[in-house]
Amino acid sequence: MTRQRGFPSRAGIGLRAPHVDELLATRPAVPWLEVHPENYMGGGAALASLESVRDEYALALHGVGLSLGTAGTIDQQHLARLKALMDRIEPCLVSEHLSWSSTGSAYLNHLLPLPYTEESLSVVAGHIHEVQGVLGRRILIENPSSYLRFRHSTIQEPEFLAELVRRTGCGLLCDVNNIYVTAWNLGLDAVAYLEALPVDAIGEIHLAGHAENDADGRPILIDDHGSPVAAPVWKLYERALDRFGPVPTLIEWDTDIPALAVLLGEARIANGLMETAARREDHARAA
Amino acid sequence: MPALRELQTLFKASLLAGEEEAVIQQIEGDGLDPRARLAVYRHHILTTLTAVLESAYPVVCRLVDRRFFAYAADAFIRRHPPAGPCLAEYGAAFPDFLAGFPACDGHPYLPDVARLEWAIHRASQNPQAEPLDHARLRSVDPADMPRLTFAMDPSLSLLASPWPVDRIWRAHQDGGELTEPVDLGVGGVCLEVRAAGESVTLHTLEAATYAFRDALARGLTLGQAASLALESHPFFDLTEGIQELLEQSLFNNFTITTEEGG
Repeated sequence: MTRQRGFPSRAGIGLRAPHVDELLATRPAVPWLEVHPENYMGGGAALASLESVRDEYALALHGVGLSLGTAGTIDQQHLARLKALMDRIEPCLVSEHLSWSSTGSAYLNHLLPLPYTEESLSVVAGHIHEVQGVLGRRILIENPSSYLRFRHSTIQEPEFLAELVRRTGCGLLCDVNNIYVTAWNLGLDAVAYLEALPVDAIGEIHLAGHAENDADGRPILIDDHGSPVAAPVWKLYERALDRFGPVPTLIEWDTDIPALAVLLGEARIANGLMETAARREDHARAA
Repeated sequence: MPALRELQTLFKASLLAGEEEAVIQQIEGDGLDPRARLAVYRHHILTTLTAVLESAYPVVCRLVDRRFFAYAADAFIRRHPPAGPCLAEYGAAFPDFLAGFPACDGHPYLPDVARLEWAIHRASQNPQAEPLDHARLRSVDPADMPRLTFAMDPSLSLLASPWPVDRIWRAHQDGGELTEPVDLGVGGVCLEVRAAGESVTLHTLEAATYAFRDALARGLTLGQAASLALESHPFFDLTEGIQELLEQSLFNNFTITTEEGG
């Protein structure tokens, strides 16, 4: 099991710069917080404030910069900075993405899609293995939101993730909004995707809002983390809880960031759904 | 079917250089033009990196207006994408890019305003280092003094411009009322930017002091820096110059080089 002892299967929020001062001043009752390590690697005032947060709350590090799917080598300087931050912060969870961002000397600031092939599997598994070795701990891998797929892919995304778990012992971060967005954009069945994920590997769930854009007269969903969680994503989250049981869940919000209270409200909804799912499970067991 | 490395190289070219054809062949349409699918990724990369540049260069952005800034940023990002994922470190090459960007010809002071903004941005990222114990410098044999080189405060930037970039910068700070337009005719300025606690300070320097500190920051020896300062102004007071380095904690280490150099 990936779930950590003592780490609450309750809903936390992604901590973003505009909320740090308010959080430290008001100390709201939220069980855990998650940050992007890339924002704290320069040290300085940002890191000092993160350390103050760390004194009060459990923290997870959610990386966006390792580029695990890059055909080249992992950026050693970046990995060393991640390790240094991890040692300083002692996070309860560390996660990264099934994607690539770096090629040659360029870092393209996005979680770019991979062809799901045997070659990609061996590249990503090799990099996860290397990262887990350097960090000295298991990491969780998140399913990306996708806007395209490659013709030469031979493996379905959830099977690709399951195979990474088998090969590297990593856990999975199931982003329910990403499943919904990807399924919509690529014409896949979101529920079937959820059913294909290995239950025991799920260590965390992400929830966020998405936007609907027009592409050539057809709607395409954009994972912009800029609005409340959409109704169909909450529904899919309930399916996920029925399948995985209660899992530490995180509300992400990155564009048009609202008041802290709005994020805490979304976390309360997630907690309510987790409690209801636990009761359903108890009833099913009693029946 | 391209190997992963080749696919990623092609994908980058499609996003930054607009060379889409080779990648288009590899993408499943699923009822949409593959170009529209690629455009989602390109749009995200360009808009998020433009926002990173805007936050490092807010005064440049105000001087040229936001739409022109986005236009310049688009061209810059395509030519100089980030080298790594810590985006607070992205954009150091933007001032030089602006200097060579023909559309900026009407604003000759713009690259230097950008250099000042990068210096301020850098100082806000790099806290002041621990100052050196003064006794260590006093223990140096006077005969070795000309051969000293210094590791300067990592938050420090020195900047000389033929334009009054400090006045232009101050005139565009939030809350700073622009009472009268900045007179470009007042001439240039020598500036020193560095971190001070959690804020950043901006000082004007005399030309000789600037020449002295700039030489040391470039790794020249104390002897060479003193010559350059004296060339700049024959009455430059070296003792006072060194005293100020100490008092202002401008360096945090020094070494004695084996040769004095030319």
